Amino acid sequence: MSYLDLTIKEMHEALVNKKVTPLELTKEAIARAKSDNNNAFETILEDEALAIAKELKEPEVDNLFWGIPIGIKDNFSTKGILTTGSSEILKDYVPVFNATVVEKLLKAHAIPIAKTTLDELAMGGTGTTGHKGMTFNPYDEKHELLVGGSSCGSAAMVANSIAPFALGSDTGDSVRKPASYAGLVGFKPTWGRISRFGLFPFAPSLDHVGFFTRSVEDSAIALSLLAGRDLNDATSSIKPVEDYASNINDSIKGKRIAVIKEVIDSLNDEQIKKAFLASIEALEKQGAIIDYVSFSLKLLEAIYPTYMVISCAEATSNNANLDGVKFGPRYEGNTYQEVMIKARTNGFSELIRRRFIIGSFALMRENQNDLFLRAQKARRLIVNRVNEILSNHDIIYVPAAPTTAPKINASSDRLSDNYLIADNILVLGNFAGLPSITLPIALINNMPLGGNLMGRAFEEKLVFNVAKALENEMGLYNLSARKVK
Amino acid sequence: MKEITKEVLEDAASRLMFEMSDEQYDTLENEFKIIIKQMKLIGEIEGVDEAEAMTFPFDVTTDYLREDVAETPLSKEEVLSNAKDVCDGQIKLPKVVG
Repeated sequence: MSYLDLTIKEMHEALVNKKVTPLELTKEAIARAKSDNNNAFETILEDEALAIAKELKEPEVDNLFWGIPIGIKDNFSTKGILTTGSSEILKDYVPVFNATVVEKLLKAHAIPIAKTTLDELAMGGTGTTGHKGMTFNPYDEKHELLVGGSSCGSAAMVANSIAPFALGSDTGDSVRKPASYAGLVGFKPTWGRISRFGLFPFAPSLDHVGFFTRSVEDSAIALSLLAGRDLNDATSSIKPVEDYASNINDSIKGKRIAVIKEVIDSLNDEQIKKAFLASIEALEKQGAIIDYVSFSLKLLEAIYPTYMVISCAEATSNNANLDGVKFGPRYEGNTYQEVMIKARTNGFSELIRRRFIIGSFALMRENQNDLFLRAQKARRLIVNRVNEILSNHDIIYVPAAPTTAPKINASSDRLSDNYLIADNILVLGNFAGLPSITLPIALINNMPLGGNLMGRAFEEKLVFNVAKALENEMGLYNLSARKVK
Repeated sequence: MKEITKEVLEDAASRLMFEMSDEQYDTLENEFKIIIKQMKLIGEIEGVDEAEAMTFPFDVTTDYLREDVAETPLSKEEVLSNAKDVCDGQIKLPKVVG
């Protein structure tokens, strides 16, 4: 057992008690990163990390991120450090400023160890579409199983105990789904709770900053650091930041938890269903009141097409600036159009180009009513139903995925005609902008499965409180591939 | 709504300034068939046409002005640092007018 295998809180205690130094942690994290064979990293920040670690001498007792090794998804701008979005069109882009969350982590003296891989421009859910190829699940040495995406590298890094924390971004479920496949706590807060300044925009009405940890309490600690109003992000909330870990161990007796019937009915795998039902019993054991509620099958089936239309439409306009002129590889051409067409044809993978065309088509004047506006209206109905349920429940609880990590070729980013309700259920949190956390609830054939809790806007404390009670019951605290293997 | 044909998709790609192969257009046409069918079904959901389009999860209101504090903006060199072809502080592109 190394100190690097600890959670943030435990690692902080070891640092404060001088059992280990930031430099020792950093050297080990770098060594583990270098020996990683899951394709988790775009850039390992060896020199930068060692330079920061060498400066850290006297531990700051009240600053839990002091000297903690971390990972940063490669769609967060890092000043002077390559930031690719795992896309060829940004393969040599070096930002001249830091994302606000990166700045906050650096000010807290956390130590970035690496920039992590993602599905190209965060537009995918498999961890297979980045320009450096597939990212693998650290639980599976044969490299046959997905770790999920789009925050694949961050998930693999934390699951493999290379750091106890990594930043991700979550537009559909890009933190909370891989968290399920990789046995992690994956969290995204209320829309507006964390500044998105410096995060490459994908679909701003759905984009959230999120992160991976290996305990619920670490997740609450991280939110306390990263939350808050930012003048550089007009969509960030002015609501005061709370100490999100302060009531984490309160009793959840009498808390009302809604379980969506149609989601349970849609589970095909009996082992998954059994594991999920056992976790419901665990919540009941802690005193929660469980209600099985019907959501509306039609609205649940509407989630995926609604998400596709809105996210593609927003993405196509947000990425119009990627033209190979202001940044990105420059191609020769006789006209500026030729220069841009070459850059965008070579710079975006096929999947991204298809997504852009879907988005662009949905936005055309003659199609807007039937596609883009209809999707935005469907979003309203879906969110109304979520808020109706949360008007007399504290939490909505669902399985974070319908299976454990799928085989690499079994899942694709092509549109499917099948309605995969449980596969897309986490998008509810993005549509409604509500705080949502995935945590491990079972190991099935040594592969993790997560449960997901979603609460009302800005009620993150209650979400962490219920998640902690569930974590206590399930006993899968600080899970990692190193431990399970 | 416009009918989906290869020409329509090619026109969209050309406006988006990239190219695609025939095989890629075939995949895309199939994806469109699925998405348009699913969006038609959404149109049959009761109340969908009357619903207010949702553009953001909720309003975040900024109703105060920031302090007027002088700041140093990024320098011209920094702004241009990622452009590959720079001349006299400007990005160079092929001539537009002969």
